[in-house]
Amino acid sequence: MDGMSELVIETHELSKRFGRKLALDALTLRVPRGGVHAVVGSNGAGKSTLFRVLLGILSPTAGSSRILGEDSQTLTPETRGKIGLVHEEHTLPSWMTVQGLTNMQRSLYPRWKEGTYGEVLGHFQVLPEQKISQLSRGERAGLNLALALAQGPEVLILDEPTLGLDVVAKQAFLESLLFAGEGEECTVLYCSHQMDEIERVADNLIILERGSLVSMAPPEEFCRRVSGWVVDWTSPPPEVRAIPGFLQARDVDGQQQLMVLDQDEGFSECLEILGANAVLRLPIGLNQAVNAYLTRNHSSPNA
Amino acid sequence: MRHTAFGAEFSVIQIVTGDARPIFRQIVDGIRLKVAKGELVPGTRLPSVRGLALQLTINTTTVAKAYAELATEGVIESRKGVGVFVCEPRQRLSREERERRLAEALRLFVSSVVALGFEPEEILRQLEQELEPLVSRKPYLKTQSE
Repeated sequence: MDGMSELVIETHELSKRFGRKLALDALTLRVPRGGVHAVVGSNGAGKSTLFRVLLGILSPTAGSSRILGEDSQTLTPETRGKIGLVHEEHTLPSWMTVQGLTNMQRSLYPRWKEGTYGEVLGHFQVLPEQKISQLSRGERAGLNLALALAQGPEVLILDEPTLGLDVVAKQAFLESLLFAGEGEECTVLYCSHQMDEIERVADNLIILERGSLVSMAPPEEFCRRVSGWVVDWTSPPPEVRAIPGFLQARDVDGQQQLMVLDQDEGFSECLEILGANAVLRLPIGLNQAVNAYLTRNHSSPNA
Repeated sequence: MRHTAFGAEFSVIQIVTGDARPIFRQIVDGIRLKVAKGELVPGTRLPSVRGLALQLTINTTTVAKAYAELATEGVIESRKGVGVFVCEPRQRLSREERERRLAEALRLFVSSVVALGFEPEEILRQLEQELEPLVSRKPYLKTQSE
């Protein structure tokens, strides 16, 4: 298989059940090598479960998952060494010093990149003699990222890494992620609820819903599929089921704001037939597009 | 090397997240406008792909995509091993393509302003003001073939 089409992550009909809850529902996902892939979805969409199964921490109820060409359930130490993980809690051994932890990691990873480690940590005010327990959340995040990138991973999984970070730490974190160790071929899986970050970093947007894959496309391509409209109805608005591509509706000052999927300019005529008095198309950003899309199947109190 | 946070303040252009335009489109529009207004003159060296990505804290592929589009339009050119430069004004798009894009831009403009309730005269007056810097730089508007 040539480098261009190689898959770093491949799941096939992957399911994971916790009691009566299906966290992953026959998920088939194929992530090619290279680039930053943002993974989004509502809470409980299955993102963290997916990462745990991929890393072999959890075993699937059905189906299979492969990472770097190996079955997640039987990963060799060599392959494990090529996978970096940074998750929201930035849990590091609190009793160790920064220096002690770094020495340990350096001895564990044969591909250790001292330059990258220094470059990332240079963004954060962390001293070698400090104990991990004395570091702020932002500093722990920085150290965590420095350690992960220094191991020279082929796949880096980030699970809500900037949660709770202030603007300065967040900026330093993103800058390190995007530019440290340039030239290294690393595929990044970036799970976040922060759409502004996703806009900045992502080449590809993966949307999970109730344990299944519902969309995979570059962010701007996905954004183009969703359109927003302000509608003045002459009479009470029609039932949402009558509106093609319906995602979301909100009433604002007697007008209705509608978000719809895969509708072109002809949609305004369709609204007029349904009884619209005036129709105006709204420009919308990625944040609104993703929100509307994820709201789609959610029950609303008055529906 | 340590880069200052929020380097974007000193960048050749600015971008915002949460906008209806994707970031690569903001870069294309931003540089094109600065060139058209004469704020970036031919021969000006632009940041490298990595440099601009670093200034704006965005993915390098986004900048590469924007630069590729600007190069296709003849706004900038990349000289191997030297850098990225603003070109002498010239038009690489066909007359038909330019007319198509103008029509598309006008349609978008009209649909955005129609509900704002201004008199057409008021809109025209403001539009003229916006176009003023371009009118004084007429040579840019000419195409090579015409």
